Amino acid sequence: MNKLGRGHRDKVQQFMTITGSSEKVALQALKTSDWHLEAAFDVFYSQTHIKSYADTRRLEELYNRYKDPYVDMILVDGITLLCNDLQVDPQDIVMLVLSWHMKAATMCEFSKQEFIGGLQALGIDSLEKFRDRMQYLRSELKDEQKFREIYNYAFSWAKEKGQKSLALDTAIGMWQLLFAEKDWPLVEHWCQFLQARHNKAISRDTWSQLLEFARTVDPTLSNYDAEGAWPYLIDEFVEYLNENGIIQKDQLDEWSQKH
Amino acid sequence: MSAQKKRNFQIEAFKHKVVVDPKYAEKTWKILEHAIHEIYNHNASGLSFEELYRSSALLRFYLYIFRNAYNMVLHKFGEKLYSGLVSTMTLHLKDIAKSIESAQGGSFLEELNRKWADHNKALQMIRDILMYMDRTFIPSTQKIPVHELGLNLWRDNIIHSGKIQSRLRDTLLELVQRERTGEVINRGLMRNVIKMLMDLGSSVYQEDFETPFLEVSADFYRGESQQFIDCCDCGDYLKKAERRLNEEIERVSHYLDAKSEVKITSVVEKEMIESHMHRLVHMENSGLVNMIVDDKYEDLGRMYSLFRRVPNGLSLIRDVMTSHIRDKGKQLVTDPERLKDPVDFVQRLLDEKDKHDKIINLAFNNDKTFQNALNSSFEYFINLNPRSPEFISLFVDDKLRKGLKGVSEEDIEIVLDKAMMLFRFLQEKDVFEKYYKQHLAKRLLSGKTASDDAERSLIVKLKTECGYQFTSKLEGMFTDMRTSQDTMLGFYRSMGSEIADYPTLVVHVLTTGSWPTQSSPTCNLPPEILGICDKFRTYYLGTHTGRRLSWQANMGSADLKATFGKGQKHELNVSTYQMCILMLFNNADQLSYKEIEQATEIPALDLKRSLQSLACVKGKNVLRKEPMSKEVAEDDAFFVNDKFTSKLYKVKVGTIVAQKESEPEKQETRQRVEEDRKPQIEAAIVRIMKSRRVLDHNNIVAEVTKQLQSRFLPNPVVIKKRIESLIEREFLERDKTDRKLYRYLA
Repeated sequence: MNKLGRGHRDKVQQFMTITGSSEKVALQALKTSDWHLEAAFDVFYSQTHIKSYADTRRLEELYNRYKDPYVDMILVDGITLLCNDLQVDPQDIVMLVLSWHMKAATMCEFSKQEFIGGLQALGIDSLEKFRDRMQYLRSELKDEQKFREIYNYAFSWAKEKGQKSLALDTAIGMWQLLFAEKDWPLVEHWCQFLQARHNKAISRDTWSQLLEFARTVDPTLSNYDAEGAWPYLIDEFVEYLNENGIIQKDQLDEWSQKH
Repeated sequence: MSAQKKRNFQIEAFKHKVVVDPKYAEKTWKILEHAIHEIYNHNASGLSFEELYRSSALLRFYLYIFRNAYNMVLHKFGEKLYSGLVSTMTLHLKDIAKSIESAQGGSFLEELNRKWADHNKALQMIRDILMYMDRTFIPSTQKIPVHELGLNLWRDNIIHSGKIQSRLRDTLLELVQRERTGEVINRGLMRNVIKMLMDLGSSVYQEDFETPFLEVSADFYRGESQQFIDCCDCGDYLKKAERRLNEEIERVSHYLDAKSEVKITSVVEKEMIESHMHRLVHMENSGLVNMIVDDKYEDLGRMYSLFRRVPNGLSLIRDVMTSHIRDKGKQLVTDPERLKDPVDFVQRLLDEKDKHDKIINLAFNNDKTFQNALNSSFEYFINLNPRSPEFISLFVDDKLRKGLKGVSEEDIEIVLDKAMMLFRFLQEKDVFEKYYKQHLAKRLLSGKTASDDAERSLIVKLKTECGYQFTSKLEGMFTDMRTSQDTMLGFYRSMGSEIADYPTLVVHVLTTGSWPTQSSPTCNLPPEILGICDKFRTYYLGTHTGRRLSWQANMGSADLKATFGKGQKHELNVSTYQMCILMLFNNADQLSYKEIEQATEIPALDLKRSLQSLACVKGKNVLRKEPMSKEVAEDDAFFVNDKFTSKLYKVKVGTIVAQKESEPEKQETRQRVEEDRKPQIEAAIVRIMKSRRVLDHNNIVAEVTKQLQSRFLPNPVVIKKRIESLIEREFLERDKTDRKLYRYLA
């Protein structure tokens, strides 16, 4: 610190205050970004695996705020309170992203380890920081790779503990939520189809393959390959679309106008 | 030639010395020239050389000439000799040409023939005389040897002379034409003239005869075939074509070059067969299909051997035959009338196969490609009907059941082999297995299997075809039957006196799993029976601890002694269900349907069927029903039919016979088959993935299909579902980068 110039010293100080990191980390980040503070923040926050040396005491305080009175976990009430504090709707998809960071085993509950571990990974140790990070979490959904991870994670998270498959209603709800972000035109038809024809739980394979389907096959099904080893449910969906004349020329125009 | 002259020459020859003198050459040549003239003139005089030869005078002359020739060559006058030969011969030939040209009509050929013969003889003599020249002068100067020269000169001056060439060709062709229209011609003369052309060289033969011959023949046959096809039916046309073909072959053997045979036969084949192939095959009322239907072996055989000669001839026959068989087969298997009697249905299939086998054997030369086409057609239409496996099993059941009285062992084998042949065509062999098991069970349990050996024989055949798995359970059924016999013996031996007063009991103990799955339906056995049944149960469980026995009332039968109202006594053979029903009437005169149902607890469908057999069938109506309708309704009332009569003492009422399934039963069986297929498909997938480790989707489907094809044809959609199920159960996973690839998880 003594070797640094005054301006740099200030920046290190500022960095440490805002991020709550150590001097060593601050120096590294600033040096990497050529002593541009904003850029240093970007660098710091994009490395989610960096455990910030947040005050564990403060994290415990935070945990205790939301913890259930009878069980050593954060349950529904606690989560509702948290959402309130964060000024976020409990149904907001950002909560899924948060759960993903926490590696939460199942929805609507956080274990102490999951909560604290998650916050540490995100470098959060206060409500203010927590609120600030929400925008960042939301932005992660735009990243192709992250979205896939979050999407696949959502299956385990949304299903009942001990079950292998995801209940249909839950799956439909999740899909509607997730594909609102991704903007897949066929999502409504997919959900209708499932309710009309399938009426059973969704397997993991079907879940993950649907994302591939939405990503690679265009909504007019022009590049759908019947030999493409798609799960049979997706094959049936295609049949359903063709049978009901849903795939038509105006569909193509509509889609191409949007894009 | 006078003797005097000869002597003169002779003397001179001995006296003269050999001198190299141009005048000598001229003189010698003149002698030779004269000799050649003489040779030709001998021809003209009509004296045969043989006659003259015999006179030694000529022989001496001949030798003298020879020596002169020798000398000329020796003294290098070969050139003069040779050119002189050419001009002399040419001169003579021109004369000969004139005489031939002047021949009238028919004698043209004869004259030509005669002159040719003479020329050959003359040529031979001249060649002999000029032999030394042939051997020395000609090879060294590469001139044409004498014999060949003679032929060429003949060719150029006679055959290719303007007035002879075309006349010769036209004459020959005209004779052929006349022969074709039925006239008798002088074949010997033809042969000689043709041989002459051949001797003059193959190009002469071809140019001056063969090529125009083929052209004219093509026109002829084109016209004739058009005529025939417009007025003949297929069989007659083929006879005519065959006749013409044979005629041409015979013609060639008699007076043409053997090499012409293949050329003229292809002309006939093309014009008479190839051009009209399609029209013949598809001819209405007489074409291929009609011939097949009417078993016209001779006509079919003729068609086969003729069409064999032309490109695509046989494939045309084969294709038309195939589509006919397929159509016929399709009709057969979809005709609702035919489907009413399964045994008849199968018999018809066998008859069709036999019929066509015979045709291929007798008329189509046992051609393998035809045999294959027949087989694939059968495979195609047999599988069009989803009930084929069931029906074939019923057919076999019928044969093994009663059809064996008075039939020899060999005949049984033949019928079973034929059934096996149909079995091989089935794609859904596992469906057959299911039905076969059911039918076999019924046969065994009702004691209706006529020949144990025949049953065994069929099982062996099935095992050979499908492997051990297929038949292991069936064999289990036979084992159970045998074991049960032993059990019964043991039972009676050990219980002997205790059970003497009870009704006689015969029990078949069936191992669950070997026999077709049945649920154990409810049935209250009559008290008269319960005693002995319990005794048996005790005995059996005493010797076989840890087992569970449940009575299968739906599969048993009973013999009852019955006395009716007027005292008539009969022995009734009934099913177990029917026994339960009838025994009730020992304690009641009248019973309603509901009462019977309550007392026996027999399932409704079976109860109705049993009652129907007891009350509504003429000659077997030991019960009376009110109202007298054919169907059993829930508010019917039943009475013993005191007026029951039968000519026989023993009356058979209900038998457990294998029957064509009703619609709901069929659905059930089909469902069970589908359920059974799932684990088989999964096992196949796991086997394949275990050895391959990584494999893409299409290949898995192909491999699975291949592995299971001896049992059934798996549906690709079902395979896909099984793969997904295996993914869920973590036997497999999708590859992370290529979603079409699957990985085996150890």
